[in-house]
Amino acid sequence: MSTPLLQVECLSKDFGSGRTLVHAVKDVSFTTEQGEVTLIMGPSGSGKTTLLSMIGGILRPTSGRITIGGIDVTSLDRRELPRVRRELVGFVFQTFNLLESLSALENVEIALNIAGVKGEAARARGRALLVEAGLEDRLSFGAQSLSAGERQRVALARALANEPKLLLADEPTANLDSEAGHDVMELLRTLTETKGHAAVVVSHDPRLHEVADRVLRLADGQLAPPAAVEALSGRP
Amino acid sequence: MVPLARRNLSAEKARFALSIAGVAFAVLLILIVVSLYRGWSNVGRFYEQLPGEVWVAQPGTSDPFHSTSFLPLADDARLARIHGIAAAAPVYARHIAFTRGGKELDVFAMALDLPASLRATAGRYAPARGRIDIDRVLADQAGVEVGDRLEVLGRSLVVSGIHSGGNSIFQTAYLNADDARAMFGIDDYTNFFLLSLSPGTNLRTAAAAVTRALPGTETHTSAQFATSFANRVNAGFLAVVGVLVGIGFAVGGAVIALTTYTATVERAREFGVLKAIGASGAFLYQVVIRQSLIVGTPGAALGIAVSVAATKLIRDAVPEFITDLRPVDAAGVFAAAVLMAILASYVPARRIERIDPAEVFRA
Repeated sequence: MSTPLLQVECLSKDFGSGRTLVHAVKDVSFTTEQGEVTLIMGPSGSGKTTLLSMIGGILRPTSGRITIGGIDVTSLDRRELPRVRRELVGFVFQTFNLLESLSALENVEIALNIAGVKGEAARARGRALLVEAGLEDRLSFGAQSLSAGERQRVALARALANEPKLLLADEPTANLDSEAGHDVMELLRTLTETKGHAAVVVSHDPRLHEVADRVLRLADGQLAPPAAVEALSGRP
Repeated sequence: MVPLARRNLSAEKARFALSIAGVAFAVLLILIVVSLYRGWSNVGRFYEQLPGEVWVAQPGTSDPFHSTSFLPLADDARLARIHGIAAAAPVYARHIAFTRGGKELDVFAMALDLPASLRATAGRYAPARGRIDIDRVLADQAGVEVGDRLEVLGRSLVVSGIHSGGNSIFQTAYLNADDARAMFGIDDYTNFFLLSLSPGTNLRTAAAAVTRALPGTETHTSAQFATSFANRVNAGFLAVVGVLVGIGFAVGGAVIALTTYTATVERAREFGVLKAIGASGAFLYQVVIRQSLIVGTPGAALGIAVSVAATKLIRDAVPEFITDLRPVDAAGVFAAAVLMAILASYVPARRIERIDPAEVFRA
């Protein structure tokens, strides 16, 4: 049996202390294989984003272990985490988080610049990714002049710029209409299959079930048992 | 490389332009002050233009402008006998106050009793009897032109020439030596001797020979007088110049820091995004430093260009303000402005350090 691309083991995150102590994530464990899209559902405040932030090396867990592609990211020094974020994972955010003063192409290029790819090499790769995302006629458009769906496609291209092993998406369809949301998720599904990475998507949008290989449910920081999830998702 | 720093700044074009203008103004202030300082430091250079290399004076003389001296006129014969001295010209020098058109004026007057051998080349320093040669600043202050008369120490002198020069510190005039002796009332004395050396004569050797021949005197070179004059001017102005230059750098630094800080704070979320997608501290500091340099470098260049134009304008319009804008000073101020820009990025860089990348998950 091969090692899963993402392995989350007994992950917990506490905020505050004493009377203000909050257990945001409690003892969460799951795995994700290469080419697989894992959807984590849950209501607001259930700990979805905290879980995603820990997997992406933005938040340090209180306890537990996260392994991406065989690398234990929880054991890394704080100064090594930016490297995890630019080489192992790619982020897609609910509010797109494009840099407003840059064009669509430059938004992808800058992710490559951060990883040390510069000049024509960065431009060519950025262009190719945006063409794959169906934005070949929007390359020089300013981020502000793009539609919400187009912005999320640019964000997806940016997340994939450095060929991450794992794509992390936080409510990627929350600010999109149903058609744009569907298109973005189809694109995410296609790219995950063709590029061979894995994706973890957190959302409370039930429409995303159709593109997910696996659905996990998070409530009060804890994962629901598999049977309950299957019943919820309607999948066997 | 994506020009993020430039885009961040040019998003607010008016602020960007004002920031560059602010830095340019600071550099202009610094360079004008420095060029005035350089100009003042040079006002004593007129000693080096006079026809002679070595001055003989009473001991304890700093320079003819700041102190006086009395020597027997008959000493010229002893000086003329010293090997290597081609000519010894008595020099009469003193400040003269006079009134012209109800205005109190003060001039540093000199009279050189040049031998015939020097009159052909240095005649402008030795006008004919009854004549006076004044500098342009004094001519403007007195409202006279060539041919006009000036009443000085009870004599009516015709302005025979107006030479360039004069400044806000003092003005110069050259008198005929016979007139000067009579006007100053020192028939058998002179204030100084200005010696012209024969070609190939060693300056130190000649100076030593003079003090041996005329005990109780001392010698100075024209360059020493010029330096002594510059030191006195510098002692008076250096502190003021230092304060003004410091203010200039503080203003320039504050403009750059404020602009960069504002541009950084406004885009704090975007810097958070860059952190979230893996930007290292070095990458982010580079963006902030570039922002500072994009304001500081063109601002300094513009400031230098304006300073060149301004010093030329000052020279033409207000000749008493002597400016000397040297390329080395301009280069130094430009380098200092670049350094200032880098230092000014410290505060915004610290601000970036505090941005939590987890903030980007907040809608």
